[in-house]
Amino acid sequence: MKKMNKMLSVSVSVLLALGLMTGCAVQKNTAAPADGAAGGKSDGKLTIAVVPKLVGIPYFNASEKGAKQAADKLGVELIYTGPTQPDAAQQVKVIEDLISKKVDVIAVAPNDAAALTPVLKKAKDQGIKVMDWDTPADPSVVELSVHQIDDEVYGRHMVDLLVQAMGTDSGKVAIVTGGLSAQNLNTWIDWSKKQIAEKYPNLQIIGDKIGTDEKQQVAYQKTLDLLKANPDLNGILAYSTVAPLGAAQAIQEKGLQDKVSLVGVALPKDSKPFLEDGSLDTATLWDPVKLGYLTVTLAKDLAEGKKPTDGQEVENVGKIEVKADGKTVIMGPPSDFTKENAGNYDF
Amino acid sequence: MNFLSKEWILGYVFAGLFLLMTLFVPGFFEAYNLINMLFQLPELGILSLGMMVVLLTAGIDLSITFLAALAGVIVATLLTNGYSVPVSILAGVATALAGGLLNGFFIAVVGVSPILVTLGTMTLFEGIVLLLTKGNSISGFPESYSLIGNGLLGAVPIPILIFAAIAVILSILLNKTAWGRSVYMFGNNPTATLFSGINTTRVVLWVYLFAALMAAVAAIIMTSRYNSAKVDIGSSYLLQSIAVAVLGGTSISGGYGKVIGVVLAVGIFQIISNGLNLLGVSSMVIDMLMGTILIGVLLINYVSAKRKQSQTA
Repeated sequence: MKKMNKMLSVSVSVLLALGLMTGCAVQKNTAAPADGAAGGKSDGKLTIAVVPKLVGIPYFNASEKGAKQAADKLGVELIYTGPTQPDAAQQVKVIEDLISKKVDVIAVAPNDAAALTPVLKKAKDQGIKVMDWDTPADPSVVELSVHQIDDEVYGRHMVDLLVQAMGTDSGKVAIVTGGLSAQNLNTWIDWSKKQIAEKYPNLQIIGDKIGTDEKQQVAYQKTLDLLKANPDLNGILAYSTVAPLGAAQAIQEKGLQDKVSLVGVALPKDSKPFLEDGSLDTATLWDPVKLGYLTVTLAKDLAEGKKPTDGQEVENVGKIEVKADGKTVIMGPPSDFTKENAGNYDF
Repeated sequence: MNFLSKEWILGYVFAGLFLLMTLFVPGFFEAYNLINMLFQLPELGILSLGMMVVLLTAGIDLSITFLAALAGVIVATLLTNGYSVPVSILAGVATALAGGLLNGFFIAVVGVSPILVTLGTMTLFEGIVLLLTKGNSISGFPESYSLIGNGLLGAVPIPILIFAAIAVILSILLNKTAWGRSVYMFGNNPTATLFSGINTTRVVLWVYLFAALMAAVAAIIMTSRYNSAKVDIGSSYLLQSIAVAVLGGTSISGGYGKVIGVVLAVGIFQIISNGLNLLGVSSMVIDMLMGTILIGVLLINYVSAKRKQSQTA
């Protein structure tokens, strides 16, 4: 009897092991054509690895689309891979495996810039070209840094949009943000404040910036509180891609579309319903598809030793700006989404 | 010797996978990649060993990764403020042990269920780290500190040596000491253990202290390897460490689990993730595959346990 049980457990285990192996074999097969198409290093095709902060969110799916378009067009092999959670430890592993895979260029959007410095150095030691995109890495290890936007231009632009929506440059405005410690958001907020101080001295910022934990529900709740506490509020600036949606929800619910103007950082698809009824006046962001396209284009140039130049015309992207250090690239001015054009985008 | 035990089966799976990857994955069996894997594996391995000991008592420690983050942030703060490496490390370990003591006190002395206590302390530790760092990362450590996570001894990475040492020591602790045997006993039957005259409070308290120590060691390796400490560093290891412990044959209801099983399980996870990454398989598919494997192993364990039961009945 005992023997039989052992037999059973063995057979089940063997089955499992087989399952594992076939699982891998299937993976192998599906991966094989891609390998074949690339033809390894022999035909000299470049392999470019683009690593987002995480995979499986709309923003980075959109950049993947752009990256793929560029790779097809330019005839390079693209690996678009990243961690499934925004954890620096996982991102480092992904990059280590890419080094083992001997890719030609690694372009990374760091979750934690400092945590990537050692592994990016390792990549450089192996002769891999290293660059960042979307979010800057440690400037001392990257040879190229692709920014979607000029932080200063963007921060100032948001205030201009708000004044435009309010129809007046005097009144009370509040600032709602995603995470209080998010560095990019804070940089934009600082530039916006500067713009207000320099250009619109009659605009009064009430209170401190309000953090919403990158959650729409929290932004909604806090905006409700804000509207209640400040019945004379004229405008809200909302930073992070979910804060404007929550704020718009609150304005919508209170029927204050005409009284309180709202400008925020948001994707057009998410903000369309709020743009349509005027609870959100303008959403402004860059096009993540273009960002992916630009990243791959410049990665190829980097591998071929071509440096980007200021005012260079990049196909499907437009004119790019290169800062004085010769390695910081700005994709271009922000794109504004209004109720007229929001339907034209699929991100 | 029983060549069909859970651990041997894991051994066969490990060897089989290794062979498969060597044969079919270009770049897998190369010195650079093998060393790369030895650098990648210890963090998760050490946390999994801590988790395993907790699981042996039918407990769970959900706070382990944030406790690691807390210890890491303490070490990082001291290092960047000019304290020496040993002092900073000691402070980090002491912080972790204090956290472990907190867990242990509520679980072993007060008697609150482990999942509730550690859920609470998980949020508590996360809150403390956020308060200390404001969500920013702390970086820029001395060269000697980065050796711990990045250094080689001969051709062998230092982290894997630390992991190996811990595995050996834990194996001895569990099998040769009164504490170790009491841990298994407690996991099987807490009441009977208490009535056998064993101070179960102390046994369980040490279990959570051990888990906290593992969190500290993992934190030191991580902060050293990434030259940075941040609130969410290693946060993805929480569920992975439970998964590895269970894949390694540890019974979630306590009383069974071996170090060698967990070591093999973390090896299996490592090989699969590295091999499939090299093949360019999407990380979402890799996650799915690992989940499938886990369910498969649990199913086997369940079936074989059921069989055993009906046999003895």
